[in-house]
Amino acid sequence: MEAPPVTMMPVTGGTINMMEYLLQGSVLDQSLESLLHRLRGLCDNMEPETFLDHEMVFLLKGQQASPFVLRARRSMDKSGMPWHLRYLGQPEIGDKNRHALVRNCVDIATSDNLTDFLVEMGFRMDHEFVAKGHVFRKGIMKIVVYKIFRILMPGNTESIEPLSLSYLVELNVVAPAGQDIVSDDMRNFAEQLKPLVHLEKIDPKRLM
Amino acid sequence: MLIPFNPDILWDLDLHLLPSVLDSFALLSGQLNTLNKVLKHEKTPLLRNQVIIPLVLSPDRDEEIMRQTEGRVPVFSHEVVPDHLRTKPDPEVEEQEKQLITDAARISPDAAQKQIQSLNKMCSNLLEKISKEERESESGGLRQNKQTFNPADTNALVAAVAFGKGLSNRRPPGSGPSVQSGQPGAGAIIAGASGMQQVPMTGAPAQQQPMLAGVQMAPAGQPGKMPSGIKTNIKSASMHPYQR
Repeated sequence: MEAPPVTMMPVTGGTINMMEYLLQGSVLDQSLESLLHRLRGLCDNMEPETFLDHEMVFLLKGQQASPFVLRARRSMDKSGMPWHLRYLGQPEIGDKNRHALVRNCVDIATSDNLTDFLVEMGFRMDHEFVAKGHVFRKGIMKIVVYKIFRILMPGNTESIEPLSLSYLVELNVVAPAGQDIVSDDMRNFAEQLKPLVHLEKIDPKRLM
Repeated sequence: MLIPFNPDILWDLDLHLLPSVLDSFALLSGQLNTLNKVLKHEKTPLLRNQVIIPLVLSPDRDEEIMRQTEGRVPVFSHEVVPDHLRTKPDPEVEEQEKQLITDAARISPDAAQKQIQSLNKMCSNLLEKISKEERESESGGLRQNKQTFNPADTNALVAAVAFGKGLSNRRPPGSGPSVQSGQPGAGAIIAGASGMQQVPMTGAPAQQQPMLAGVQMAPAGQPGKMPSGIKTNIKSASMHPYQR
């Protein structure tokens, strides 16, 4: 059998080296309106966008100790949107001057048989949640303010309850590796949201 | 770049509007920051060397200009141009500014330095008084109302998004790997069905059996499992799915 034509060869490089720069904070429910008002003024002028997403986190346990994690997200309020599959690597342990959490990130749009595919590959769902909130953009920065809901019965996204009395605020940028100026821009933007919200780099390993 | 700002807010001295005034000022500062960044960008030409001359003034609505200015300038007419294309202040203001500049030049550098120092000292005294007052009134509970975020909530939310803490994870905290290896296989069972007897176990080592039985005993009570409509073989999680 001859070699497959070049167009059928797997694509290498390109998107694989994207990094996600992340700053997180939270805001109490009662202060949400002030935060949204401020974000509407600071961010790019566009229609305020709300979203309702259902995210499922899948684990593949291999022989190694740490399982491989993939996140599958689907939109619950917008029909016709593709599912979003995301891989997030370990946070890079950069120097202390870097103002944001940096980790490798791969984003893929998929069709809606994603969960079946993952299960067939050997992944198992670890946990899931519903995220409901607002998204803003400023240039390449994306600011998401959302509430996390716990799903009471597995697979049933109607019976949900909020996890806490706060909204999670995330400022993230997906950019090629090595662009540390991005984190400076993020820090300047975060300054403008003080004292309403303190966006900072939070290492999830500290919270385990 | 047109900055949206409602000046009427400033004239209303009601204290309850102070937060929205401060908010508007914060927005202003943000917009000015962005403006500065754009102006300082290396690709921005030296605006001082550019001249803008209006070529056509008309009292008719101009859709193009409406679009460019996001609806704020509907007409490019003789009343709009003096304000928008202004490069110098009004003559009276210019006079006052000139007066101030000549006054300032008249003072000797020493006297000027002394004035600067006394201004700085007054500002720092004032700041100290304000912060002392703030600290003393903290005990009155004033601070509590102004809390807009809760750090404990931040940590809880970040932990939930990062690794599912608190999201009714079926894995009880603190349990060893034994329960973990049993569950992914059980996840394929229809919740509540007694699939244990019907589904053959492939290659599961002996130790898996009691663990899976333990898991099976409360399948409905383990939230977070994705119910699948397909009955599949229970495979041991430590085995590669493609082996055998």
